[in-house]
Amino acid sequence: MLPSQIVLLILVGLFAIYIFRLRSTTGDRVTYLGLAALGGALIIDPEFTNRVAARLGVGRGADLMFYFFIIFALFHFATTAATIRRLQRNLTELAQAQALAQPRPPAVMAPPRSPATPSA
Amino acid sequence: MTVTASDRAATWVIIAAYEEARSIGGVVQQLIADHWRVLVVDDGSDDATADAAQVAGAWVVRHDVNLGQGAALATGFAFAAADRSTRFVVTFDADGQHDAAAIPRMIAPLASGEFDVTLGSRFLDGEGFTGMPATRKALLRLATRLARLTTGLDLTDTHNGMRAFRGEVLERMIHRQDRMAHASEIQAEIARLGLRYREVAVRVTYTDYSLSKGQRLIDAVSILWDLLAAKAR
Repeated sequence: MLPSQIVLLILVGLFAIYIFRLRSTTGDRVTYLGLAALGGALIIDPEFTNRVAARLGVGRGADLMFYFFIIFALFHFATTAATIRRLQRNLTELAQAQALAQPRPPAVMAPPRSPATPSA
Repeated sequence: MTVTASDRAATWVIIAAYEEARSIGGVVQQLIADHWRVLVVDDGSDDATADAAQVAGAWVVRHDVNLGQGAALATGFAFAAADRSTRFVVTFDADGQHDAAAIPRMIAPLASGEFDVTLGSRFLDGEGFTGMPATRKALLRLATRLARLTTGLDLTDTHNGMRAFRGEVLERMIHRQDRMAHASEIQAEIARLGLRYREVAVRVTYTDYSLSKGQRLIDAVSILWDLLAAKAR
């Protein structure tokens, strides 16, 4: 085994540990550990991607990996964007509720028609 | 059709304000002098916007963080909805470019029961855009055409901050766009709910100050982005 393969396998192993600590749902764990296992297999047998690529008509295994990486990156971008939108919505609702809970009446005497405190 | 004192007492003029300490006091005073009830939603300003508004006679609610004009108006709408006396809600800009004298003309079509929503337009009478730079005019025309295509509403000015709503229709509308895309969202909601709307000619006075606070060309891109993201959801 080449030194670079050993280094890469250690990195994949660290990724697997990280996943297990951070992801709590079984589905996520299975998915990401599956990815890690696939990564490990590809490191041990680099020719495997070339064989698959040849069968799919892509050409080189490196190209195939690159295409997979693009798809994964787009997927990751979409899910991250959705998470950010959800967090933004939560933040908005929280700040709005906070604001409405503490209405500040005018500091000077407004005209007599001024309203009673709305029960916000 | 005139606006009565009881109409005024049943109206909230809502101003979303971010870092407007310089102008907000004068804007509020002018409205208070006209016997309007004013709510300023301070959208997380670091300056004295909230204090200035309060001293000038407005009610103030304050976001602890800056969320955007759409979110600030939504907070104001919720405040007005919680007040049982509310019949009309008017949105008004914080930077002094709107004219308080136009508010009765905005409300009269609602008070008569003919319309649910009135939208201010700078282009109805051809002279409502004193001092507007040519690039801004072109951008607005483009936005107007786009809105006509997407909502089918027959409007001459789609991004005017002056609007008036009957309280009960406001509660049926969805307000989900935090930032500037809320203007398009309001039009989409008018179309979706089949609200009766009309435009009212209003004058907008552009000063160096208000221009520095207004929309830039790049904002059009981010507004489009917000809308597309919302559609994709």
